[in-house]
Amino acid sequence: MIRVRDHTATLGLVLGLLLLWEVAGQLRWVADGTLPPLSGIFTRLVSEWREYSPHVIATLRSASLGFVFGNVVAVLAAVCFCLWPLTERLFRGINIAAFTVPPIAVAPVLVIALDGDVARITLAALLVYFPTMTAALAGMQSADPGAIDLIRAYGGTDFKLMRHLRLRNALPFIMSGFQVAAPAAVLGAILAEFGSGARWGLGTFLLGSLGRAEPDRLWGIGLTATAIAGLGYALSAILAARMTDTNRAVNVSVAAPAAEAATDSQWKRAMALAAAILLPFLIWQLLLWWAELSPIIAKTPLGVVDYLLTGKTAASAQERLFAALAETIPITIFGMLVGLGVAFGLALLSFTSPIVTRALLPFALVTQTMPLVALTPLAVLVFGRGVTVTLVITISVTFFAAFVVLVQGFALIPRAAFDLVSVYGASTTKKLNLIAIPASRQWIFVAARLALPKALLGVMIAEWLATGKGLGNLLNQSRGYLDYGMIWTVAIVSILLSILLYQLAGLAEWWLSRRPADGSKSWN
Amino acid sequence: MQGLPLSFTNVSKSFSIKGNALHVVDNLSLDCPAGSFTALLGPSGCGKSTLLRLALALETEDAGSVQIAGGMPRSACRSGVVGVAFQDAALLPWRTVEDNIRLPFEVLGRARPEAAHIANLIELVGLKGFERARPGELSGGMRQRVAIARALATDPHVLLMDEPFGALDLILRRQMNLELQHIWSEKRPTTLLITHGVDEAVYLADRVIVLSPRPARIVADIPITFQRPRGTDLLRDAEFHRLCDEIGTWLEHGPAKPSPASRA
Repeated sequence: MIRVRDHTATLGLVLGLLLLWEVAGQLRWVADGTLPPLSGIFTRLVSEWREYSPHVIATLRSASLGFVFGNVVAVLAAVCFCLWPLTERLFRGINIAAFTVPPIAVAPVLVIALDGDVARITLAALLVYFPTMTAALAGMQSADPGAIDLIRAYGGTDFKLMRHLRLRNALPFIMSGFQVAAPAAVLGAILAEFGSGARWGLGTFLLGSLGRAEPDRLWGIGLTATAIAGLGYALSAILAARMTDTNRAVNVSVAAPAAEAATDSQWKRAMALAAAILLPFLIWQLLLWWAELSPIIAKTPLGVVDYLLTGKTAASAQERLFAALAETIPITIFGMLVGLGVAFGLALLSFTSPIVTRALLPFALVTQTMPLVALTPLAVLVFGRGVTVTLVITISVTFFAAFVVLVQGFALIPRAAFDLVSVYGASTTKKLNLIAIPASRQWIFVAARLALPKALLGVMIAEWLATGKGLGNLLNQSRGYLDYGMIWTVAIVSILLSILLYQLAGLAEWWLSRRPADGSKSWN
Repeated sequence: MQGLPLSFTNVSKSFSIKGNALHVVDNLSLDCPAGSFTALLGPSGCGKSTLLRLALALETEDAGSVQIAGGMPRSACRSGVVGVAFQDAALLPWRTVEDNIRLPFEVLGRARPEAAHIANLIELVGLKGFERARPGELSGGMRQRVAIARALATDPHVLLMDEPFGALDLILRRQMNLELQHIWSEKRPTTLLITHGVDEAVYLADRVIVLSPRPARIVADIPITFQRPRGTDLLRDAEFHRLCDEIGTWLEHGPAKPSPASRA
């Protein structure tokens, strides 16, 4: 999808931006020097490298351990889901939660429930799980049907199919899953360092440097974190390219894979759904029993219900929670819609002037690997501590994620479709109206589902670090007050909120797709 | 002779497509005695492949029974007496030619075959020198030949082939026909060959079965009695051409023009 000549355009764009940055920094254009020149950042980074290195090593360590554990679990889970589709349906609730969870919300919970080191590795592993699991499962399920028949014809069981065919077939898919998982591991490791009291780690370093008015230090940390994540992405990409000999597009699966048997009765389906919803809560309860944590610190599902709904704390907790939600939800949705709109506009523009995509797409791909948390303080430096910063972060996070999906989706529209309408003399606008816009319908929703958890994460990080409002702030405050009930409540509520928004996107898609569409269902 | 009998008795099979039942095989009986060579001809989509998939236990019959050596196809397949080549070569792209031919042994859990055995097969299908090549480096015809070598590798007692020579050009096809006849004569596995090539069917088989359009019923059952081994000169024989023409007529008119015999 990305060819060599595309890279020259990107290179031009990137070099231009870097140059602009340097000039703007030297001349102190942005908010009185909060954007230091690149050369200044690097000089400082090099001179302070001794101070950086233990932090970098600590983060690298938890990220890589999390990467390894998360991937092992993900591949084992995919094997189970493929061999026994029922398990996939039971775990669907957990899978969707793993995809939509705003990691910043579970970080404090993990820090409470687990030993510091384990918490960091767990959060990294948690973020690694979903991309690798879906990629592996897709790879196993896409094995050549002819080869499946052949192995079955020699009496091959499901296990033999897995061993001789599906696992190996999934390998390139798993590698491209790694491309998403590697930067996610870095993000997880850094987020779990927040407020964990850990001495070392880039997250700790970042929090420690926040109070000091030293933009070049913050930029140095942000860029270092980005470089580590980018390195993980690049290594995985090289591995993937070696496996496949082709530069396959990185497709992030945003829907939990469905393997529903059409023959199942309504009752059976309802049972599976109920089990899928209950299982996460059951596991939550069991984990706490197993860890033998004090019920004051570690809230069980019933403990949260008591805190929020029935106990003495209920009234105050509800008030604070609703105030926070009233702050967070509108801004998340608004920022996401704007980001989606801009992405859609720019993606359409790519039909009339392909140079825009060529320059932007690889750049947008790279932004997908940037650890959001390390960049937020930089946005705060530039945009201040108001609502603007939250919006800027949400919009840009949504935009880049959606843009990548939309452009890759558009690339799947067969050339012949455009050629056909061209033969009948269609203008560019006609082509957009007849083909690109109807075709984009499904991709808009893919983009929305992909961007949603990121948008919520962006808002919560900004609230925690900068604006002092909303869910993110409530979480941070509760940590300070040792209000364990609220920490658990915010974690659960933000996961539920994320799942709700995700399901709403699915519902909107379903509603749109059942209206008689103008032949726009699917190109592939 | 090592062939084992294969039989279809009153077999019916239908698939449901969007809620509508599609009758693919309707009360069909066919007996392939041990060591026989049967060719199945019929219009595209008539259910030939479904018969083969039933014999491989890849599908389950709705009614009637399919038996290999008097037992279930599934247990015959598990015991490794069945060899198969599909329309599609179905090679594993990450395995070399040798390793692809070895695959059935691994699936069956048998000991690794001797290197000489695999080398012989590769030579037999004319792929000497390509032992270490991967499917991506081979042409369509070469891949198909690997699939044939793989079908023969386990020394099967029942050999099921679904248009295995479809991807080959005429010359290669005739060569492979000659080779297949040679191998078959040596071990006499019970063979069921699905093909679109009327001349191929007449050249190879003891018996040619013509099927009707869906649902598959037997329209004609024609014994082929040429002496074996059959040489290439048979392809120019007048009786050979008469048989091909007769079968061609059956294929063209199908059950619409029933012969006096089948009406009786």
